Amino acid sequence: MKDILERAGRTVIGSVQYAGGVFILFARTLFWMAISPLRPRQAFEQMVKIGVNSLPIATVTSFFIGVVIAFQSAYQMQKVGAKLYIPSLISISITREIGPVLTALVVAGRVGASIAAELGSMKVTEQIDALETLATNPVKYLVAPRFLALLVMLPLLTVYADAIGILGGYVVSVYKLGIPHALYMRMSFEPLVLKDIFTGLSKTLVFASIISVISCFEGMRVEGGAEGVGAATTRAVVTSFILIIVADAFFTVLFYFVT
Amino acid sequence: MAMEPGGKTQNTMIEAKGVVKSFNGRMVLNHLELRVMRGETLVIIGRSGCGKSVLIKHFIGLLKPDEGEVLVEGTNVSQLSTKQLNQLRMRFGMLFQGSALFDSLTVGENVGFMLGEHTRLSDKAVRERVEEALELVGLKGIQDLKPSELSGGMKKRVALARAICMKPEILLYDEPTTGLDPIMADAINDLIIELHDKLRVTSVAVTHDMVSAYKIATRIAMMYQGKIVQMGVPEEIRNTQDPVVRQFITGSAAGPITEGGAKSMGNGGM
Repeated sequence: MKDILERAGRTVIGSVQYAGGVFILFARTLFWMAISPLRPRQAFEQMVKIGVNSLPIATVTSFFIGVVIAFQSAYQMQKVGAKLYIPSLISISITREIGPVLTALVVAGRVGASIAAELGSMKVTEQIDALETLATNPVKYLVAPRFLALLVMLPLLTVYADAIGILGGYVVSVYKLGIPHALYMRMSFEPLVLKDIFTGLSKTLVFASIISVISCFEGMRVEGGAEGVGAATTRAVVTSFILIIVADAFFTVLFYFVT
Repeated sequence: MAMEPGGKTQNTMIEAKGVVKSFNGRMVLNHLELRVMRGETLVIIGRSGCGKSVLIKHFIGLLKPDEGEVLVEGTNVSQLSTKQLNQLRMRFGMLFQGSALFDSLTVGENVGFMLGEHTRLSDKAVRERVEEALELVGLKGIQDLKPSELSGGMKKRVALARAICMKPEILLYDEPTTGLDPIMADAINDLIIELHDKLRVTSVAVTHDMVSAYKIATRIAMMYQGKIVQMGVPEEIRNTQDPVVRQFITGSAAGPITEGGAKSMGNGGM
């Protein structure tokens, strides 16, 4: 009994410490972003790494998700003779939910892992200590540019993924289900209101913060060589995934059921 | 000789006063006292993992003592604001054990890192200073290589060039010769002596390489169980009667360190 309580207590303390550490890093990142001049070269480098290089994987995943949603909804909708609403269902579900969340998860897997591994290796080879001895703050030099790059690139990637997803749905609807082009376009974009796009994109800002801060935090606290780097990379991805899904649920309630 | 225990405050560069540091309940520094004099090369010797690196990381504010204080020219390092600490760090240069070059940057960008970050020098001026620093360590024309293309000895020298690029007053060396072949190790030793004479810096090196210690040191301090157990000019250390120091410098497996280590594991000794 005492053992269980002890372990539970340690878990609670551990989680609070973790949350505190993440929050402090987040605050320090915002602080450095606010007071230090923009580093165009570094920010640009990160944007290419994070955004442009994620285009292929975002294209493939969102296109096929669009295809799958079209097929799956056709299967149900045709039964009740509501085939006409397939385009609306695709466009709304993609812009509101699937586009932002799927893109965030893909980026968390690809970029979050690489950030955690890179900063983790820098930590174990004392490069982060070296940075400090060269009178340069690691948060300013390493975290802020990555945070900024994600904040800019994730919404852009999401808009792109939304479009590709809708294209996937279009291909199935028009060429397989026989919905005419003009009708697809109308049924797709007419019900789509600004709020759908806006809520979808505002979420991505939060997802971007989650991915960058968690991955940097995990990377910068690595201890114990290659094994530590591997463990931190895994933790960065898993924690980002969980937080993204939880945040998404929170925003859905906030945007569509509270207001 | 540089050893002048009488003429204190004026000539003291770095002072550790009763420094205590523990990691996960293991006391690594145990009320450690140490004084580094201006212009000397102090070599701290001791077994691997005895806390030598931990100690010099306190000098430059990478670690903060749990108890006690570290003074650089009389200022308490752990009480400085971020800005003051950065100003202090610009007067230091540190060579890390594994060189710690930034592998995403070229050699030139590594060496000129501080100049780019903290000065308003033009690109041309930075390039000149980088070339000058690389020349001092005997490497010319490798500015555009990446650290991954260099050998261990070259990395050390590039890291040294990075450390001296801002013309520091104090140089810290963390195991400067570890992992190098004996010839390269000796070349690094010569370089340390040369830099010391040319730049008139105060140097602190930690090492367990006795050849290197005898060669570069003006004074040697032996660290054991979180304390400095003996300190003196190389001759004194060489002729020491202290059994702990004797065992270490002669490098024998049998002696008080290995026997005492087994008994005193609990209170943090090695």
